[in-house]
Amino acid sequence: MKFSYNWIRELVEDLDYAPGPLERLITMKTAECEGIEAAGVLLERACAARVESVEAIPDTHNVKAVVDAGRYGHRIVVCGATNCRAGIISAYVPIGKKIIHGVESDGMLASAAELGINRDHSGIVELDSQVGAPIAGCLADSVIEIDNKSITHRPDLWGHHGMAREVAAILGLKLREPAKLDLLPWSAPAIQVRIEDLNLCPRYSALVFENVAIRPSPLWLQCRLTAAGLNPIGNIVDMTNFVMAELAQPMHAFDADLIEGDTIFIRPAKAGEHFRALNGEEYKLDPSNLVIADRSGAIALAGVIGGAGTAISDKTTRVVLESANFQAASIRKTSAAIKLRTDASMRFEKSQDPANTVRGIARAIELLREVSPGIHAVGGVADQKKEIPAPPPIRLPVAWLERKLGRAVASAEVRRILESLEFGVAETEPGVFCVSVPSWRATKDVSMKDDLVEEVGRMVGYDSIAPQAPLVPASVPPGNPERKFQHEVRNIFVDQGFTEVYNYSFISEESARAFGLEPAAHVRVTNPIASDQALLRTSLLPGIWRNIAENAKHRESFRLFEIGLEIHGQASGLPAEIPHLVAAIYGRQSDGPLDTSASLFELKRTAECLMPGAQACPVEARPFEHPARSASILWKGAPGRACEIVGRLFELHPRLVEFGRAAILDLDLRAIQPLAAADAKYTPIRRYPSAAFDLSVIAAMRELAGTLEAAVASFAGPLLESIQFLRQYSGPPLGEGQKSVSFRLTVGSPERTLSSEEVSEIRARIIDGMRGLGYELRV
Amino acid sequence: MLDESIQELESRSLARIASAKSPEELEAVRVDALGRKSGLTQFSREMGKLAPEERSRIGKLLNSAKQKLEEALEVKKQQFAEAALRARLDAEWVDLTLPAPGPRRGHLHPITRIQRELEELFVSLGFTVLDGPEVETEYYNFDALNIPAEHPARDMQDTFWLDGGNLLRTHTSPVQVHGMERLGPPLRMIAPGRAFRNESVDASHEHTFYQLEGMMVDREVSVAHLLYFMKTLLTAIFKREVTVRLRPGYFPFVEPGFELDIQCLICGGPGCAVCKQSGWVELLPCGLVNPNVLRMSGIDPEEWGGFAFGLGLTRLVMMRYGIDDIRHLQGGDLRFLEQF
Repeated sequence: MKFSYNWIRELVEDLDYAPGPLERLITMKTAECEGIEAAGVLLERACAARVESVEAIPDTHNVKAVVDAGRYGHRIVVCGATNCRAGIISAYVPIGKKIIHGVESDGMLASAAELGINRDHSGIVELDSQVGAPIAGCLADSVIEIDNKSITHRPDLWGHHGMAREVAAILGLKLREPAKLDLLPWSAPAIQVRIEDLNLCPRYSALVFENVAIRPSPLWLQCRLTAAGLNPIGNIVDMTNFVMAELAQPMHAFDADLIEGDTIFIRPAKAGEHFRALNGEEYKLDPSNLVIADRSGAIALAGVIGGAGTAISDKTTRVVLESANFQAASIRKTSAAIKLRTDASMRFEKSQDPANTVRGIARAIELLREVSPGIHAVGGVADQKKEIPAPPPIRLPVAWLERKLGRAVASAEVRRILESLEFGVAETEPGVFCVSVPSWRATKDVSMKDDLVEEVGRMVGYDSIAPQAPLVPASVPPGNPERKFQHEVRNIFVDQGFTEVYNYSFISEESARAFGLEPAAHVRVTNPIASDQALLRTSLLPGIWRNIAENAKHRESFRLFEIGLEIHGQASGLPAEIPHLVAAIYGRQSDGPLDTSASLFELKRTAECLMPGAQACPVEARPFEHPARSASILWKGAPGRACEIVGRLFELHPRLVEFGRAAILDLDLRAIQPLAAADAKYTPIRRYPSAAFDLSVIAAMRELAGTLEAAVASFAGPLLESIQFLRQYSGPPLGEGQKSVSFRLTVGSPERTLSSEEVSEIRARIIDGMRGLGYELRV
Repeated sequence: MLDESIQELESRSLARIASAKSPEELEAVRVDALGRKSGLTQFSREMGKLAPEERSRIGKLLNSAKQKLEEALEVKKQQFAEAALRARLDAEWVDLTLPAPGPRRGHLHPITRIQRELEELFVSLGFTVLDGPEVETEYYNFDALNIPAEHPARDMQDTFWLDGGNLLRTHTSPVQVHGMERLGPPLRMIAPGRAFRNESVDASHEHTFYQLEGMMVDREVSVAHLLYFMKTLLTAIFKREVTVRLRPGYFPFVEPGFELDIQCLICGGPGCAVCKQSGWVELLPCGLVNPNVLRMSGIDPEEWGGFAFGLGLTRLVMMRYGIDDIRHLQGGDLRFLEQF
């Protein structure tokens, strides 16, 4: 929202704060200012000047004009405007000399846009003033831009008068009231108003005018609108915008002769009702949209935009001026549904004050007299409204207020502040105020004592509150084991050389398909930022895949990981959000062909750092996995538990990696965390020495070492302490397609030292057992 | 006669020991001088033939010679052992300027680093760390935070809507509500996490960003207490005394609501490009918990009060490390990530 400093100064008596300091005060006490912009800078030096003669400059579109610029004397200027002709009065600005097309131009003739009066850039401004006079009513201004978000709750601050009230309260100055209510004629109205639902339209006021002359607004008014960011169009529309910018009351003017009948209906649109708006768009409405209608149909979309059919035109001579109040939610809904936000809808959705409608009309009556001389009202104000009881006063104990703020405030100070903001204050019992809320703050903004804490707090200044430590019992906060675990996982992977990445929660259908994920099985964003970010990830793999591809452009090899949520839609309720870890090791082929599985084993080793005793169990590869290199990761956590599948280890299918290889570990942290939570338990160190011996099993090349190990262990019996893989070997003297896998077995008893006969017996049992399974052993 | 032979053998053997070039040569000397077939052994065999007094004298002579030779052999043996060790160790020379094999330590994401720092800080102040879902219901993201449907404040947060009517949380504030419902008052909690807004991405805007929500609910909670925690927090974050100020800010879930600014850490107040010449940098929205929010979470606002704040983690990380482009944070580029 743009506020004209000049406008505010006009509404606050004796305001002598410069725009800069004023902006800072507003920021600290009321709303956030985003900056100040100078407007109409040229106006300071501009004066009306007569174009005396014009001479074309050959081969250009420009002319050399001699102007009589009053106190600046006669000047020669080069001007490119097509309307620059002898005899007109325009605005001359002394901006210094410069040579244009070989002609020395001393100053310039300015367009209305250059002067900051309006947006007309089509030619130089044409004035109706005395030569040498300043540009009537137009002054250089400073525009204070307020962040709209910071006034979302303040319907009153969507007009200059509301902001002026704040300024007056902050500085202890007097606020001028621009609306003269005694101008309102209360005779029988010339138009009838019929509101169907007073909840949707709590008030509708209208007044008919005749003898209207449509023409441009006076320059001062155009200048004001321009400073406030509004586009001057013509006197009647400009006047409605002026009132809106001043009082925050949106208004609309209908061409009275284009309204059918003598009644204005405020009713829900009919299903499928068509409406052509001022912006030229055609809208198809439904009953959730409130319309202003005449006998024949909708003439305005309530609170949003007027209709093309009843718009003011050059031919207009009679107008119906609407000043209404609409339910905020209804306007917002309609504006969102048809995707049209207007200056009016923006204000109405903030819950405007119904009392304001007639103030708007009163202000309009005064302005119309100036912008359309000879205009006069026909009949009185039509005014239908819902009776809204004044909200009950708010009970405000000063001691409570002090406790909320954390500083002392004198009762007299509280009263002064609230009264300066036009709250009604009565001290019903000692130390307790009964505060009544002015109508413009009562629609949504202020309804409870906490709201008054803000009023008093901001005015005494939050900077007057000293930080203070609270007195609360010391206590150990409840822990967050899931989060703690994830931090531990991060530490392990970082220690093992992995760098953490963050990826988006969004993936494309294409990347979902690349990982065998059905797009339809994903939670879908209905309003995605781009069509390739429409699905919520059910896997971290697409993100990591992208990371691999991107980083492979710069690096020969790298390790990275991400911890993030997989989001899986459920049949009912919120989706399941499952924390996963995906780690990847990438390397170019230059590592040498013998090393191609090293990355997989590095990942397996890192997985074991996290999950001691975790196992990899080869499984059938998914299409995006290397067909001979994929395994489930199983872990049981503490001994005695059953193994669970907690993740997957695989190499990306070479199809998905342009150069090099990428090994990937994908772990379900939600499954792992409870398994990892087991506390260590002490068992006494064995007093009796153990015995160890080695065994080598000869097996077919693709037999799994893990299977062999399990088989060997199963024959070892209860005295087996540990079994450890030593090495595997293939080549002579073994036959083609054979390998020898060696294990070291440690056996012992907690009660005694095993005799050599006992150890031999175990060894023989294993050998027999393995032979029974068809394996030869190298012993 | 025997005397001379013994002395001759002794001096000859000592000379051979001294000149021995290898352990093998030394062993040969030992065998010749002290072995079973050696001269000395021969001499001691001959002892029996001697007269008793002669036997004792020659015996002493023999023992002395044997002892001398054994000592000399031992010394020489040690010399050889030492020389051999020296040679072996010298051969084990390594070039320690060569790089160590194996991976280097990886890097935590900068957001993780700052988030952890803050988690530790708040836990030390008695706050619990809570998590909430990233996919939220409209109720938790908006209604329970005093932002009913059709409230214009919903425009302040462009929302990603999901099929089925849920949404991606637009802030971490819903975790306040979960926290109040789950733990009840008194309550001190923070909730760091990912939030989403439907915004186009550029150097300073992201649709996915990180926030840290904080809340305290207790019997008496004032603006002064809020200020105390914010100042303590920010002093710890920036590792220096910071000056903060509160100014009015509107957020439906707090009343009164504030924007908290810190005095610009670059210029210290006079104004510079970073603070847009204002001397202050907007850092976090905060306020006293709106009684409607407490009530909706089953807490009686007449008995309990609270403060809440929402720290922009992403922004803080950018400030701390001087990161000029927000897109790096989720870009996955190791050249960026390895700097932390």
